Amino acid sequence: MTARLDVLGAPCFVEAAHAIPLVGVVVSIRTGSQHDPEGMDGLARVMLRMLRRGCAGYDAQRLEERIDVLGSELGMVASASTLTLHGRVIKPNAAAFCDLLASMLGAPTFTDEEVGRLLRETAAELTEARDSDPALAHIAFRRAVFGGEHPFGRGSSGRISTVARIDADAVRAFHRAHVLRSNVVLGFSGDVTEAEAGALSHRILGALADGPHPPDAILPPPVARGRRLVFVDKPARTQTQILCGGLGTHPHDPDHVALAAGTAIFGGTFTSRLMKEVRSKRGWSYGASARVAIERARHAFTMGTFPAATDAAACLALEIDLLERWVRGGVTPREVAFIKKFLTRSHAFDVDTPSKRLHEALDVELLHLPATYHSGYLDHVRGITKDAVDQAVTTRISTDDLTIVVVGTARDILDAVKAAVPALASTEVLPFDRD
Amino acid sequence: MSSRIERAVRKVNEAAPGRAGGVPQWQLSAEIPFGGSHVARLRLDNGLTLLLLVDRSAPVVAYYTWFRVGSRHERPGKTGLAHLFEHLMFNETEDLAAGEFDRKLEESGAETNAATWLDWTFYHEALPKDRLGLAIRLESSRMSRLVLREPQVASEKEVVANERRYRVEDDVDGAASELLYRTAFTVHPYHWPTIGWMDDIAGFTPEDCEAFYRTYYAPNNAILVVVGDVDEADVLRKVGAAYGGIPAATIPEEDTRPEPAQTEDRQATLVKPTASERVSIAWHGPALGDADHPALTVLNEILMGGRASRLYRSFVVERELVTDLRGWPSTFRDPGIYEIGFTARPGKTKDDILPLLDEALARAREELVTDEELARAKARLELGLLGSLDTAAGKAEQIGFNEIVLGDPAAGFRRLEVYRRITRGEIRTAARRYLSRPRTVVHVIPERGGA
Repeated sequence: MTARLDVLGAPCFVEAAHAIPLVGVVVSIRTGSQHDPEGMDGLARVMLRMLRRGCAGYDAQRLEERIDVLGSELGMVASASTLTLHGRVIKPNAAAFCDLLASMLGAPTFTDEEVGRLLRETAAELTEARDSDPALAHIAFRRAVFGGEHPFGRGSSGRISTVARIDADAVRAFHRAHVLRSNVVLGFSGDVTEAEAGALSHRILGALADGPHPPDAILPPPVARGRRLVFVDKPARTQTQILCGGLGTHPHDPDHVALAAGTAIFGGTFTSRLMKEVRSKRGWSYGASARVAIERARHAFTMGTFPAATDAAACLALEIDLLERWVRGGVTPREVAFIKKFLTRSHAFDVDTPSKRLHEALDVELLHLPATYHSGYLDHVRGITKDAVDQAVTTRISTDDLTIVVVGTARDILDAVKAAVPALASTEVLPFDRD
Repeated sequence: MSSRIERAVRKVNEAAPGRAGGVPQWQLSAEIPFGGSHVARLRLDNGLTLLLLVDRSAPVVAYYTWFRVGSRHERPGKTGLAHLFEHLMFNETEDLAAGEFDRKLEESGAETNAATWLDWTFYHEALPKDRLGLAIRLESSRMSRLVLREPQVASEKEVVANERRYRVEDDVDGAASELLYRTAFTVHPYHWPTIGWMDDIAGFTPEDCEAFYRTYYAPNNAILVVVGDVDEADVLRKVGAAYGGIPAATIPEEDTRPEPAQTEDRQATLVKPTASERVSIAWHGPALGDADHPALTVLNEILMGGRASRLYRSFVVERELVTDLRGWPSTFRDPGIYEIGFTARPGKTKDDILPLLDEALARAREELVTDEELARAKARLELGLLGSLDTAAGKAEQIGFNEIVLGDPAAGFRRLEVYRRITRGEIRTAARRYLSRPRTVVHVIPERGGA
């Protein structure tokens, strides 16, 4: 059972397990790209990354060396709703590692030189990311489903043009406004006791300023109406990336678990409908899957495949047909019985390490999930019925409001892809190297 | 006083009528220290090796089946066959209809997958602990009773062709890596890609598959690794009953030619729709089991391991020449390569970067690394090993990999001891030995007008 402490007003979660002499440390800040100022998409992420580019006592290089010398590692993740630092350190150096985190969070230097360096690095990374067709598909899908104004549509990395508008003053201001004791959630896992975790939390939180922080800015996303094709045109593609979907589920929906189960039946396992029809029967795509993402507001339902360019149109037509049959025809009692077994029995792997158990507790806190979202998961799954799944799928998944993204070579396959989508309302062709 | 595993072996063997009755018998050959525990190495009459580690940290079990077969065992014209099996093995068996293998495992909440590389293939399941028997039944069935007919082979060939498009044809790094190995190796089978050449994939027949299966998928060519919350005697009983009747096969002697020393620099070029030039460089390097390998690993960590490393700092941070820089001494059974790769920042070219990289490598050959650099590299490597042992599956993969490549399931821990003893002089020697040799350079050039 994950313990919860309150340290200097901040929640601190502890999941102890002493088999391996490592301590996991998580520091999450309740902000993210939702608070990027207009025209400065990517600022929250840049601020997060700047935390390891110099702080009191350490320039960027000395800081990185210190992380290594301590026998530790540090990662950073930025999302719409949360900025997270997650680290791991050998047990004897846990206090020193937390002191370093305290300095990074509480006394970053944010020098003009380092900010400039990171901004140039970020711009180069955004250019390089265009080499990844899956990444191009996901960016286009996100923008098309949520729109350019919503935080889920903007994404956390920003664009080359918006990153260019960021400067050191903006980074400092974002830090002042958001990296506050009252805005932080801590987590410890592994070879650490509750008492030790409390003391480590004090070391980190004691370095942070306190004060009011900006309110949550994630509003319900708008609905993108009609069947819309966004074709990302890239030369010399022998294969395509196809994503289809629209809005999905909210963790507080009464039918949330039923929809997740229905989606698993449709495309969440190796024996799902999508996998069986696309890969097993036809060999059209190495992967075929469907999922619903979970965030603080309603996020996306997505199905994805990556067939050869020559099979793209036929594969897309099949996917839409399968989607319509799932939404209109429902699922079978046998499928429901199967997925309940899968979800309940595989739950052992959601909680088989202290780090995973800790992250469940952090998810509830940071994503504002219902209190029993994880602790009552097995009961929720056992309570699913065929009618509940059918109702949830019919209510939440629209086959009329469907966003379709294809990354491929337009000259070769655009006409065939358009013809594969019945009642297509609009088509937009985007160059793959668009900002 | 006997250990738990010794008592389990005695109990299981005594409960059986004996070899005369055809019932398989277990032999315990070693109990090998593994962190704070022990891995038991056992052998069944038909040559099947079982490595067993009891780990009660979670109510799960990891079940890995490693086969001593990889793309090195293929021949020209039939490349990719070992990898194709990674797909075929999830199909029909004599006692299971197509799709049932995955369905039964998913119904039990299991995770399952497989991997193939140059020297080996493995299949794995992670299951709730009360479902171990299912994994044993399914894995033993597909070790000897796989059905290989035209429809299954044709469908999986198409899936593999799509996988190849995904990983190689339309992936800049995948295409560059394939060309690097193709150019660096001329004789040794590491020359061809594990996924196989596209024409070879298209040409496989059910007869090719059947011959490969009957040759390499046999108990005496396999290692089972079981890690988790299990009872030793229960595992021995169930594995013995399921696999004991599978006959050993005659495994052909390997017919591999060592790669001759590279005596000249080699270059190859790719044109791709990318905004950035990329370069991959390979020097012939040591096998994983060679005495030099740990020193080269530490050198690589000093040069390119993490953001504080020497080359990352110089090329990514200070000079802003590349977005990405990586190095890797291959972990193969035979001598492999030491590989460095980088992606140039937009506007920078290979010619801007390579001379500076050569200067940095010359410094590694001429000067001793600092004590601080050495200490940081050792700390990173130690953390990496401990981190890989977080789950039952992580332990099982470590155990199986080290057994199949080095013949020692706990080699990771022994390697850690070697890292701790490595000196600055040994690192310089490794740099001189390997980074002075002729090399292979693959250069990826942006397609004109493509980005």
